[in-house]
Amino acid sequence: MLEVNALSKKYGKKTILNEISFRVEKGEIIGLVGENGAGKSTLLNMIATLQQPTDGHLAINGLDYKKHYKSLRKLIGYVPQDIAVWEDFSVKENMLFFEKLSWKRKTNEELRKLCTDMELDKWEVPVKTLSGGMKRKLNLAISLIHDPVVLLLDEPTVGIDLKSRMEIGNYLKDQALQNEKIIVYTSHDMDEIISLCDRVLCIGEDPFYDNILKKAGKEIVSF
Amino acid sequence: MISILKMRLLHWKKQVFSLLFWLLLPIIATLFIINFTSTVQEESEIPVGVVLEEESQLANELVESINETNFIRAEEMSEKDALHSLETHELDSVFIIREGYQEQIVNGSRNRLLLSYQSDLSFAYTPVSEMIISYVQQDTGRSKAAYTVMELSEGYQQKDNWTWEEVIAKSKEIEEEENLLQSVFSFSGDAPASADENASLFDPWSLWMIFSILAAFLLFDWLIKERKNNLYPRFIFFRISFKIYLILNAYIYTLLFLVFDVVALFMFHIFFDEELSWHFLFSLITYRFMLNAGVFAFTLLFRNVSLFYTVSFALTLLSAIISGAILPVEGLTDRFFWMELVNPFSSFLNGEMSLLWFVIFLIFIFIWFFRKEKQYA
Repeated sequence: MLEVNALSKKYGKKTILNEISFRVEKGEIIGLVGENGAGKSTLLNMIATLQQPTDGHLAINGLDYKKHYKSLRKLIGYVPQDIAVWEDFSVKENMLFFEKLSWKRKTNEELRKLCTDMELDKWEVPVKTLSGGMKRKLNLAISLIHDPVVLLLDEPTVGIDLKSRMEIGNYLKDQALQNEKIIVYTSHDMDEIISLCDRVLCIGEDPFYDNILKKAGKEIVSF
Repeated sequence: MISILKMRLLHWKKQVFSLLFWLLLPIIATLFIINFTSTVQEESEIPVGVVLEEESQLANELVESINETNFIRAEEMSEKDALHSLETHELDSVFIIREGYQEQIVNGSRNRLLLSYQSDLSFAYTPVSEMIISYVQQDTGRSKAAYTVMELSEGYQQKDNWTWEEVIAKSKEIEEEENLLQSVFSFSGDAPASADENASLFDPWSLWMIFSILAAFLLFDWLIKERKNNLYPRFIFFRISFKIYLILNAYIYTLLFLVFDVVALFMFHIFFDEELSWHFLFSLITYRFMLNAGVFAFTLLFRNVSLFYTVSFALTLLSAIISGAILPVEGLTDRFFWMELVNPFSSFLNGEMSLLWFVIFLIFIFIWFFRKEKQYA
C-alpha cells in the first residue's frame, strides 16, 4: 500500500503542493492530472524519493521514506519521461546492462519474456533504429526488471502512436490485476487516463480536469 | 565489480577500434617519433669516406675512432669509389690512411700520414679533419710516450722491461678506465650530464607521457556522454549508485590502461633499451593512477563533449611545454623550486612515485562524491 500523508513542497516562498494526502491499494492504478506546472512531476518525484518533500510523510508497505528510503527504492519502479536507455545498444544489451545493476537477478529468458509480454519483440535490434513506441516499451521494461511493488510513470506514452499506447496501457492493466502492482501514472491525455486509471488525482486549482472526469464518471481522489 | 566489467564490455564492444587506437597511440606515436628523429639524425650525419691503404692495427683503430664520433658517418671504401662519391657530392670529404701508417707512428714520425680530399661543397671538412688529426696526434703522442717510458725503464735499470706494445696497451687501458679524452659539459656546481653517444633527441618516456595524457583525456569522454544520457534517475533504484558506477568504471579503465602501460614498458625496453625494473614499474603504476584520477576529476567539470575535447588538446599541449617532457625547464625549476611541486608530471619524469598529486586528485573526487549524495538523502 502507498500512503501519502500531508505531503507539501515549497520552493522558497512558493508553494507547489500543499498537504496532499491519499492512499493507493495493491492492484490499483491512479492517475495524476493537472495543467503544466501544477506539480504532477514534483509529486511523482517525491513518491519516487528523487525529491525531498518540505513536509509530510510517505510510506510504501509501511516503510517510511525518511527512515527507510534505501529500502523503499527497492520497491519502486520509475519510468522517467525522457527515454533513458542506451541508443547504441540492442534491446537485449540494454536489458542485460540494467539487469546487472538491478536488485534482482534475472535470466536471459526472463528478460526476453518481460519484453515480449509488452509486444517488444525486436530483441537483437539496436535501439536507435526502433520506433518511438518500441523505445517507450523498453523504457518501461527496464524499470520492471527488479519486480517493483510500485510503478511510477511520468508521461510514459508521450509522442507515440495509438497502437503502442494501447499495448502499454493493456500491459499496465495486466500488471495491476495479475501482479497487484500499485501504478501511479501522469499524462495529459484524458482519454488514456479515463480508460486506464481506477481513480484520478487532480492537481492544481483549475476545475477543467475535474469537470472532464466528472462527466466521464471517474472517481476523483480528494485531498 | 564483475557486473560493472560486463557492463563496460558491452560498451567497449561498440567502440573497439577507437578504444584500441587511443590505448595504442602513446606506444605507436613514441616508437614512430623516436625512430623518425633517429633516422633524421642519422641522415644529418656528415658522410666521410675513409680509404685504408694498409690493414694494420693502428689504422683500423683510427677508423673505429672516426666511426664512433657523433655526427660523422664514416664509410670505408676504395680510393676510386671514394673520390667518385666526393665528386658527386655524396661524401663531404675523403681521408686516405696511407701505406706505412703504423710504421711511421711507431717510429714517431708525424709527416704525411694521411691524405685528404675535399670538394667545393665540403662544408664540414675543417672540423672533421681537425678531429681526425687529433686522433692521429693522440696515437703519435702515445707512441712517443711509450718510447720515453722504455728509455726511463732502461735508464733506471728496471727488472721488468716493458715492450712498446705493452706500454701502448696499458696506456689504452688507463684511457678507457679514466676517460682521459671524454669531455662532458656541465654548469658550475651541477652534476655532469651523461654523454650517451646513442642518445635520441627525445626521451621515450617523456614523449609517451604526453601522448598518454591525450589518450587518457579522450578515452574519458564516456564520463560526459554517460552523465548526459538521462540515465541518472534510473540509478537511484539500482543497487549501485550512479557515482559508484562512474568510479568503478574509471577504475576498470585504469586497469585497462595499465595493461597497455606494461606493454609500453616492454616495448621501450626492447626498442630503446629503457630500464625494466620494479621501481620504474611502480613509478609507472602510480603515474597512471594519478593521471586517471586527475582526468576523472577534471572531466566531471564538463557537460559539453566538444568543449572538453578542445580543452583536452590545449591542456596536453600546455603539459608538453611546461612539464619538461619535451622542452628543458631546469633553468626555471632551479630558480623557482615550487614549479617542481606544482607539476604533477615531475615525479614520473624523475622516475619517482606520483603520490602527492594522486592524493590531491583523490581528495577532489571524494569531495564530489560526498557533496552531491546529500541531495537524495
